[in-house]
Amino acid sequence: MDWRSFSKRARGLLSGAAALGLLAGAGCGRFAVRPSEKEHLADRTMRFDADPHEAAADEHVLANREGATGGRGTSGGGCGCN
Amino acid sequence: MIRAAHIAGLAGLAALAPAMPVGADDRIDLTTTWYLERRRGPEGGLSVVHPQLDLELDAGESVAVAAGYSADVVSGATTSVYSVDAVSSATKFDDVRHEAHASLAIKGSRSALSIGGGAAVERDYASINLAVRGNVDLPGKNTNLALSYNHHFDQVCDRDNGILSGLERRALTGFERCDLSSVLRVQDRPGETIWRDLRIDTAQATLTQNLSPTLVVQAGLFGQVLRGFQANPYRRVRVSGVEPQESVPDVRGRAALLLQANRFLTGLRAAVHGSARGYSDTWGVSSLALEMAYSQYAGDALLLRVRGRVYQQSEAKFFKDAFFYDTEGPAGEYFTGDRELAPIRNVLAGAKLSYIGIDEEGESVWGLFDEVRLDLKADVLLLDELPADTESDNPAGIGGQFLSSGQLIDALVLQLALHTAF
Repeated sequence: MDWRSFSKRARGLLSGAAALGLLAGAGCGRFAVRPSEKEHLADRTMRFDADPHEAAADEHVLANREGATGGRGTSGGGCGCN
Repeated sequence: MIRAAHIAGLAGLAALAPAMPVGADDRIDLTTTWYLERRRGPEGGLSVVHPQLDLELDAGESVAVAAGYSADVVSGATTSVYSVDAVSSATKFDDVRHEAHASLAIKGSRSALSIGGGAAVERDYASINLAVRGNVDLPGKNTNLALSYNHHFDQVCDRDNGILSGLERRALTGFERCDLSSVLRVQDRPGETIWRDLRIDTAQATLTQNLSPTLVVQAGLFGQVLRGFQANPYRRVRVSGVEPQESVPDVRGRAALLLQANRFLTGLRAAVHGSARGYSDTWGVSSLALEMAYSQYAGDALLLRVRGRVYQQSEAKFFKDAFFYDTEGPAGEYFTGDRELAPIRNVLAGAKLSYIGIDEEGESVWGLFDEVRLDLKADVLLLDELPADTESDNPAGIGGQFLSSGQLIDALVLQLALHTAF
């Protein structure tokens, strides 16, 4: 199939990711948020895909309706209290 | 056949499965999801019941183990021939898929590594997968980098077409036997059915960044390569007056970029969520999905979330509206009647209500648990099928080519979940 056209799009996606990474890196160093300020970041509503069952079921439903599966993000984030 | 789209999607999900929170409470999670889709014709709609059960246990200070099971119980109408009149070839079917998985996680002070695997089996599909995921908090614990990789070894039952190719190939009818004694043991039945390989490699990298005490963002890059048999072996396509098994390429590469953010609204005890996801693959499908959600606490124990999502995709390069396959023939060597490869617009609106009980001052919740969460969720899905070819040249239109055609609100998702920590 058309890998050339695909690789052009993929490069666009990579560039977008790199730009966002640079933006994040530039805007926030290691002291962007102090531990004492992470109360709200630790809230369950601030976690990405906080419910793995719900995320899996959503992916399951959408994979059968749409041709573009995958890449819906990863869980975690927020307080940094891994 | 519940099959490949699920598997590919779940491959993506398994690749990004969360590292278990080692050192957290032991957990039991039980969820059941009902998916109901309206379909035209006398055979009725489509129903899927999807139970999930997961158990996580700490095994020391820095090790945790997890295991889980899920199933799909599917029944309803399907169309066996992609043509301008889907209803005339609609039939009833039912299938059950079982899936089990297990993983082991090891955690350091700022990093975690998990290794796992799983297997899934149904009447005509067998799948084994291995996954590894690692993540690390950078100094300051405001930045988290996660990498994951997953490989699927899948096998698909197909009709034994011998040396037949292209327009000569016949599809499965559902009456053939697929010899499957376990997920590891499949056997061809010469002249009737053969098992064909599908290999799926999935990788994902995500960067999560705290930008302020109330704002966290995440960027994710996803890539997947599928090699092997990816057609629906039951689906036929009416092409130039004949009805061969659908034919799609053996290799598909996928890439997606996700950007998402969560913002906590301190005064309201609420949070807003937004995400955008772009996708492109080597079959020519490109898509964009935008989602917004709002979460609001009510009192100490209730949390309400409402959300909306809009999605649109372009068609695969070899997809045609049914009328044009019949009158013009295939696009190159390929032809498909897969709605997932058609141009569509999908809209989702939903709400979720959670009851959250947390032990206070040594008092266990319900006398047993450190934490209990009970979720009730409902989503409504709206589908808009778009023409892939010039509408004015299509006297048959696209309204009849899928069983779902012509219905705006076409599906409902209900979910009930119980999450416990002890």
